Amino acid sequence: MNFRAIATIYHAEMARTGRTLMQSVLAPVISTSLYFVVFGAAIGSRIEEIDGVGYGAFIVPGLVMMMILMQSVSNAAIGIYFPKFTGTVYEILSAPVSAFEIVIGYVGAAATKSLILGVLVLATAAFFVPLEVQHPFAMLAFLVLTSVTFSLFGFIIGIWADNFEQLNIVPMLIVTPLTFLGGSFYSISVLPPFWQTVTLFNPVVYLISGFRWSFYGVSDVDVGISLVAILGFFLACLAIAWWMFRTGYRLKN
Amino acid sequence: MSSIISISGLSKTYQGGFTALKSVDLEIGKGEIFALLGPNGAGKTTMIGIICGLVTPTTGTVTVDGHDILRDFRQTRSRIGLVPQEMSIDMFGSVKAAVSFSRGLFGKAPDPAYVEQVLKDLSLWDKKDSEIRALSGGMKRRVMIAKALAHEPDILFLDEPTAGVDVELRQSMWQVIGRLRERGVTIILTTHYIEEAEQMADRVGVINKGEIVVVEETGALMHKMGQKRLTLQLAEPLTALPEALKADGLELAADGCALHFDYDTQAERTGITTLLARLNEAGLSVRDLETSQSSLEEIFVGLVGGKA
Repeated sequence: MNFRAIATIYHAEMARTGRTLMQSVLAPVISTSLYFVVFGAAIGSRIEEIDGVGYGAFIVPGLVMMMILMQSVSNAAIGIYFPKFTGTVYEILSAPVSAFEIVIGYVGAAATKSLILGVLVLATAAFFVPLEVQHPFAMLAFLVLTSVTFSLFGFIIGIWADNFEQLNIVPMLIVTPLTFLGGSFYSISVLPPFWQTVTLFNPVVYLISGFRWSFYGVSDVDVGISLVAILGFFLACLAIAWWMFRTGYRLKN
Repeated sequence: MSSIISISGLSKTYQGGFTALKSVDLEIGKGEIFALLGPNGAGKTTMIGIICGLVTPTTGTVTVDGHDILRDFRQTRSRIGLVPQEMSIDMFGSVKAAVSFSRGLFGKAPDPAYVEQVLKDLSLWDKKDSEIRALSGGMKRRVMIAKALAHEPDILFLDEPTAGVDVELRQSMWQVIGRLRERGVTIILTTHYIEEAEQMADRVGVINKGEIVVVEETGALMHKMGQKRLTLQLAEPLTALPEALKADGLELAADGCALHFDYDTQAERTGITTLLARLNEAGLSVRDLETSQSSLEEIFVGLVGGKA
């Protein structure tokens, strides 16, 4: 293993975040916090409890998950897309670095950023709504797994994208709707039976449900199924990334 | 000279069906400067890309210092530095950070003294903390060379290193290349400036339409394939070439003051003695004479043009 190369890629990516703190850290924390202010503190007080949890507190896991999904995908996607766009990817591809090491460097940095943001958003949420964490290790496991998996997903999008429009199309047109419709703001038990069944095809439901369970012990789907779902998505992304490097898809030739 | 790069039966056909390389065989000697010449689209960059890991070969093998580029990619790539043709560099970091990044990427421990030396050699030390986007085009190109040298490679690929740089910078790059050669670094360069290859390269390879047309020591190539021209300055200008001399391959200069005669130095008889005798018979008196060697560029055009 070329650990030094992994560390070099990782630090370079983290340094890029350091150069754009306002955009990379402050903006997502503030925009997510606005949800707590509006839906938690302002409107939330007029909405009745869901599964015995106050509405303001109920939406926190969903909002944290939404922010982590969006940030993981966009950070990892731009991380590999930008070198492709500027041509500097030649240096990565001509270095004595394996595909696995490249993935660890880029995905590790993107996941780290998401985790930092997740912790910051949770800390901010605690100012506006009462929070409890019944299963802290499970919460941490969901945070890490989701950050890593969706960073890997973003990395794949970054390799696949041929232009900036394609780079944004998946986060904006797929990830955001799936997150909004995945139970960030409601429990799927409030939906009519038909739509409950349809919603179960949305993978984000399993993430939010499992993550919410780690806070309040209540979930829309079994927590075990949630874990299997995210692990399955992780393995699928890993397989696609492996195939991309093996064939040189949109990287070589 | 022992071989450091061995290329055997190397071919590359891209997905669209374009064949960039057709069963190329080539040996590059350790410590030499090898110039790869060829017109646009000849396959130079594809060949470099395959050796460096940027392009997957269709068939054939390449070994670097005895290691296969696909199976032992860590060993081969750690020996190679690449300066690509395009200006591909992260504009938002400092010069020093960019060079340190390259060194780390190749798995080398930080060595501030070495990085300092590389930057000083390339006259970049004063700009070590400057953002790359603030540098001139020539300096950016030098940063790319510094990045390629950051991991102390044994082999350096320079793909059009002096394209678009001014004369002064080109001279300084030649000096850098000369110093690298003194340190034993093998240098493979592609260039459109044929005189660059003529002055720098130990050997020249000409590639056209994916095939190696010729590989030869620069001097030997020019000696073997080049022609010499004898120019005779006449004491009295001529309005036309005398009939008696028309069969001798002579050419009258536009101003009528000189005669040109091309000859092959490798031929058994150059024809110069006979020519001088015939000029004497024709009553022409010669005031001065000089000979000139055809340039590598003329040889290159002849080789590539003949194949085109």
